[in-house]
Amino acid sequence: MEFAIISALNGVIYGLLLFMVSAGLTLIFGMMGVLNFAHASFYMLGAYIAYAVSSIFGFWAGLLVAPLIVGGVGMLVERYLLPRVHAHGHAHELLLTFGLALIIEEAVKLFFGDFPVNYQMPESLRFAAFSLFDTNYPFYRLFIGGIAVAMFIALWLLLSRTRTGIIVRAAERLPAMAEALGHNIPVVFMSVFGTGAALAGLAGAVAGAFYPTNPNMGLELGVIVFVVVVVGGLGSLKGSLLASLMIGLFSSYAVGIDWSLATLFDLAGLGGWARAVGGLITMEVSSISGTIPFVLMLLVLLIRPAGLMGERN
Amino acid sequence: MRTIIPAAILLIALLAVPPFLGLGWQNALVNLLIASLFALAFNLLSGQAGLLSFGHAAYFGVGAFATLHLMIAVEDGLPFPTPLLPLAGAGAGLAVGLVAGVFATKRSGVYFALVTLAIAELFHSLAPHLQGWFGGESGISAMRMPWGGFVFGSLLEVYYLTLGWVVLSILVLWAYTRTPFGRLTLALRDNEQRVRFLGYDAHAAKVVVFTISAMFSGVAGALLAISNETANYALFSAHVSAQVVLHTFVGGATIFLGPVIGAVVFTLFAYIVSDLTRSWLFYQGLIFVLVMLYAPIGIGGVIRHHLRHWRSIDWSRLAAPYALAGVGGAMIAGGVVFLTECVAILFGEEYAVAMRDAGDTLPPFEMAGMSWDPLGPASWLPPILLLSIGGLCLHRARDRIKPLWDAIEGGAAKEGTR
Amino acid sequence: MTDAPGNSPYSLRLSGVTKAFGSIPVIQDVDLDIRAGERHAVIGPNGAGKSTLFNLISGLFPLSGGDIRLHGRSIAGLSPHRINRLGLARSFQISNIFHRMSVFENLRIGVLARHGIRFGLFRPVDRMRRINDETDAILARVGLTARAHDLAGDLTYSEQRALEIGMTLTTGADVILLDEPTAGMSREETARAIDLIRTVSEGKTLLMVEHDMSVVFSLCDRVSVLVYGNILATDTPAAISANRAVQEAYLGEEADI
Repeated sequence: MEFAIISALNGVIYGLLLFMVSAGLTLIFGMMGVLNFAHASFYMLGAYIAYAVSSIFGFWAGLLVAPLIVGGVGMLVERYLLPRVHAHGHAHELLLTFGLALIIEEAVKLFFGDFPVNYQMPESLRFAAFSLFDTNYPFYRLFIGGIAVAMFIALWLLLSRTRTGIIVRAAERLPAMAEALGHNIPVVFMSVFGTGAALAGLAGAVAGAFYPTNPNMGLELGVIVFVVVVVGGLGSLKGSLLASLMIGLFSSYAVGIDWSLATLFDLAGLGGWARAVGGLITMEVSSISGTIPFVLMLLVLLIRPAGLMGERN
Repeated sequence: MRTIIPAAILLIALLAVPPFLGLGWQNALVNLLIASLFALAFNLLSGQAGLLSFGHAAYFGVGAFATLHLMIAVEDGLPFPTPLLPLAGAGAGLAVGLVAGVFATKRSGVYFALVTLAIAELFHSLAPHLQGWFGGESGISAMRMPWGGFVFGSLLEVYYLTLGWVVLSILVLWAYTRTPFGRLTLALRDNEQRVRFLGYDAHAAKVVVFTISAMFSGVAGALLAISNETANYALFSAHVSAQVVLHTFVGGATIFLGPVIGAVVFTLFAYIVSDLTRSWLFYQGLIFVLVMLYAPIGIGGVIRHHLRHWRSIDWSRLAAPYALAGVGGAMIAGGVVFLTECVAILFGEEYAVAMRDAGDTLPPFEMAGMSWDPLGPASWLPPILLLSIGGLCLHRARDRIKPLWDAIEGGAAKEGTR
Repeated sequence: MTDAPGNSPYSLRLSGVTKAFGSIPVIQDVDLDIRAGERHAVIGPNGAGKSTLFNLISGLFPLSGGDIRLHGRSIAGLSPHRINRLGLARSFQISNIFHRMSVFENLRIGVLARHGIRFGLFRPVDRMRRINDETDAILARVGLTARAHDLAGDLTYSEQRALEIGMTLTTGADVILLDEPTAGMSREETARAIDLIRTVSEGKTLLMVEHDMSVVFSLCDRVSVLVYGNILATDTPAAISANRAVQEAYLGEEADI
């Protein structure tokens, strides 16, 4: 029971973190058709900038500055780099951002070294939110979840309730028409890209203080975020949320489960044989929790190739 | 004829020269050949069929591990000829590629790229936990066994074995482009929908291309396993997948041998440069992004463009601005390298220690045999000068080159030959 | 009437064909019989669902309801390449060619499919005499011999339309769907296109979407009028142009523009 509740909480919060990053990716993809391969690198950049700033000006300054700088970087990429390859098609946009991801990763190694840095939450946030079955649940996890939720509410209000949101949605459907109506579409696109990047940066700044901050964090999270996008469906925010939470929960539960395929064979009385075969069959779920998202993705590809919420592609 | 003679000269050189080279260069050549084959196999899928894969490490790695298992069996007495070991890599690449291909080709475009990446990560995350297949975290090793009159003990023998397989594979891949299915592969890239309305099962066709590409990637992985006699799960890492993307697109994905150009350039550079700097991967990323921005057709594409218009190029007018561009490019490269190496030193651990020893001030640092003061203007003047003058040169050169090329291409368009 | 496969007087029979995108009906309960060997046009105002109808017949979209029979055999739910192999080829409203391949190769891809050499991996295609000769013959029929080795993407618009028609011929289909083959052409180009369509559709069944009534008059045996997803009338061109209801539907639309 304890395991179930704590895992559920951890899973939901990890899922919300995934959504914080994948939401920006989905937003940009839905609007501009650009899959930003460097998006998870923005997440890493956010963590490192927050680390650098917070070591001088304190944690909160880092939390504030990191998304701004990362958002700025995103805008520069959208303004000066993407248009150059746009004419060569989406594959080249993907390749360009792929190259940017490599550069960001190597640049981070250049400045901060190829090892984890000591980016920590402030003492003022280091306390237990509540105790459950003798376990102290860290407040900071709830803080991560809270930031994520607050961000979505803000994003949702912005998109659905304001003039800006209406222009953004119009530009998404009919860019030429929106431009003809006098809206500055290049600026709209740049802002959307910048916002998406800033969201990733914020996620990195918040999560980096809790999870390890190292030069691999971009790729590690990035791969999972890409799985979220494939599982969730074409540029669908709802799909991303669903997929994020699913992957968060599955991964979280998997860590504590010591079943293996052999356990299944036990039910059929074949456990002994299965254990003798070994390999994949005796592998415990807990030891392959990192694999769960990929297996989930393959299953979705088999059953619903377009993704949970996607239209046919 | 025009392509056969240079190819023959190259082949003779590849056969005759290596015995006179040191072990370091022989090893570099083996790696270069393997990287070339891997890039060509990758490009069959990503360049010719237009299906961009970010996870080809999976098939490369599977080929290597399968070969090592066969080598272990040979050690234990299985009578299998050593020169045919890459067949294990081909078989494994084919089998895994077929399954992965069925999944990956269910989606197209950017999703395809993401799915391939995820499949490679699946291997990367599973392999350390699978002791029997991939040897856990430490990997597996095996010895090359003598066969026929060959001991396969020296690197030179390994080199010739690799050369044989790579040349054979390149010929097969070249022949592939001349077959009906090879032409269909290009059609898939251009317009998959139309292919379907001409009576082809496009999904099946994509799976077949994927499988063939994975099979040759497996051969490349097998050659690496034979050369290294060991492999671990790091072969499945995103880094390996990224390398082949870099090689292929810097070399030029739309030209058959373009990927080979990229593989050769990068492998040689890595061999020469990796001892001198720790920032090699950073430079690699920069080169890749610059090529994507300014020459998306790749080095091979630029060369082909020049060859195509060779007769209409007036070199007496083009040579000077080209030289200017070369000088400008070299200066900018120099400036970037200077700054990058400074950053690498100033933010490095050794300098952090030196700073502490100097009582939290900024002591001078050593670079390229000279001492530089991090706060002195003399230290920062060289890169600033290099970058600004180099930029100016490039700008001037571009203004002079562009109208010349516009004239060349305009003339060609008027003739109606393109 | 019982339709024994392969033995039907109708090349194509649509019965109760319905298509909705989400909750929006686009094609409603359409019945349409195309006789073997006839040239049949579908006309109608913009947004009437003509292209959707083509996409349903050729298998690009799944049906929401009803059935489509090709030579008496149901093709509902089949994938585009299966439908093509049963003898139906189509062109597209927007040129749908292989831009980065030569004109010759564009056509050869289809010729290869017709001969069942779909996954040929063991012989160079340049040595397949019969394939290349047949491709040359189709090149000549659509008047593109001089452009054979140019990239398809470099052709002029009307040449691309001719190539598009050529590609529908390559697979040897006997039912051909052309989606606005003369759209965007000058008067001269249109006249040439009409000649081309007439000669290449000789002995085949032709179904085309067309806006230009003069094209319909000079080419087609019968015309169906599609308005808001319904077939309003099917008759000879002369009878259709005299039809009151059709005039209203059409003039109404023209007046809107």
